[in-house]
Amino acid sequence: MSCSPFDLRDYFLQELADPEERRQVEAHVRVCQPCREELERLRLTEAALFTLRDEEIPQRIAFVSDKVFEPSPLRRWLAAFWGSAARLGFASAAMLSVALIVFATVRPAPAPGPSAAAIEQRVQAAADTAARAIEARYAQKTDQLVKAIEERDQQDRRMMMASYERQSDYQQNKIASLELQNRSLSNSAMMSKDGQ
Amino acid sequence: MIFRAVEDADLIRQAARGSVEAFNLLVSRWEKRIYNYLLRITGNREDALDVTQDVFLKAYQNLRKLDDQDRFAPWLYRIAHNEAYSMFRKRRPETDVDELVPEATETGITVGGSPVFPVELSLAVASALERLTPEQREAVVLKIYQGFKFDEMAEILSCPVSTVKSRLYTALELLKLELAPIKARGLS
Repeated sequence: MSCSPFDLRDYFLQELADPEERRQVEAHVRVCQPCREELERLRLTEAALFTLRDEEIPQRIAFVSDKVFEPSPLRRWLAAFWGSAARLGFASAAMLSVALIVFATVRPAPAPGPSAAAIEQRVQAAADTAARAIEARYAQKTDQLVKAIEERDQQDRRMMMASYERQSDYQQNKIASLELQNRSLSNSAMMSKDGQ
Repeated sequence: MIFRAVEDADLIRQAARGSVEAFNLLVSRWEKRIYNYLLRITGNREDALDVTQDVFLKAYQNLRKLDDQDRFAPWLYRIAHNEAYSMFRKRRPETDVDELVPEATETGITVGGSPVFPVELSLAVASALERLTPEQREAVVLKIYQGFKFDEMAEILSCPVSTVKSRLYTALELLKLELAPIKARGLS
């Protein structure tokens, strides 16, 4: 394992692009023997690999003009056309000019516009329609609210009546039971008087 | 270097418009490099030549799809990589591509303690490369022999830069253990 500030292999393979980083590695290698030896082993390995020479190709490769592989004349013309900025620019300018001329000659004459009074009348009519729609919407909303309030009121009233009825029944029952108690008390008082 | 790059770009433009002459000139510039790349990943001269021809035919047919002419080299090597792996798959459809090992050209190399001659070193290198996995070997070929940057290798191999680095560094560790002592002895 190397103790170099940056990877020795990156340095050796020219993948350490920053000159400052390269300088730091070089300074380190000058004073560190293990890293110097490691770098030397990498150099020897590379030198050994380079003893395997590139071979000459045994047979040169060449293509003859073959219609099967060649692009069609139209495609070649298109490729040449798109490849030339000047031709493309000229064609664009020509198309733009033609478009301008055609537009100027065949453009239909503008139809006579409506008079100011007619416009105002149309605007007024539209405003009236909108106002009517808003009024109708408000009236509908108000009706709905009134109906809801009335329904709630009736419901409250019904609940109150039911509560009163329940209370009155209770009071009547209570009175009846008190009367019954009084009667029994007076009966017992009379019986004791008779006994004496 | 810049002049050459401009020339290539010009040839690519002309070839894309259908100029066979321009394409032939482009082929003559790249055929040796592509052939040697394929030779080192297939390990067979005939296969390398066949695939090289297929690569350039495919390149001619698809040249118009190349958006950035400056990326011609990675694009061409990407085609070469795909063609080679397609050949491996056709040849052994039931085998996982990862297990494919090129046919050995020189095998059974032993280098004893005696001084090493250049030819022996070359054989030792060929043997050491054969012992790598196909991915490791391809990473070494693209970096050491073809001089691509990591991002270009990632484009050719269609994998992240981290994978490229991992494959290459593992391969370099193995090669270093095997070749550095031999090379050092050869120098002495």
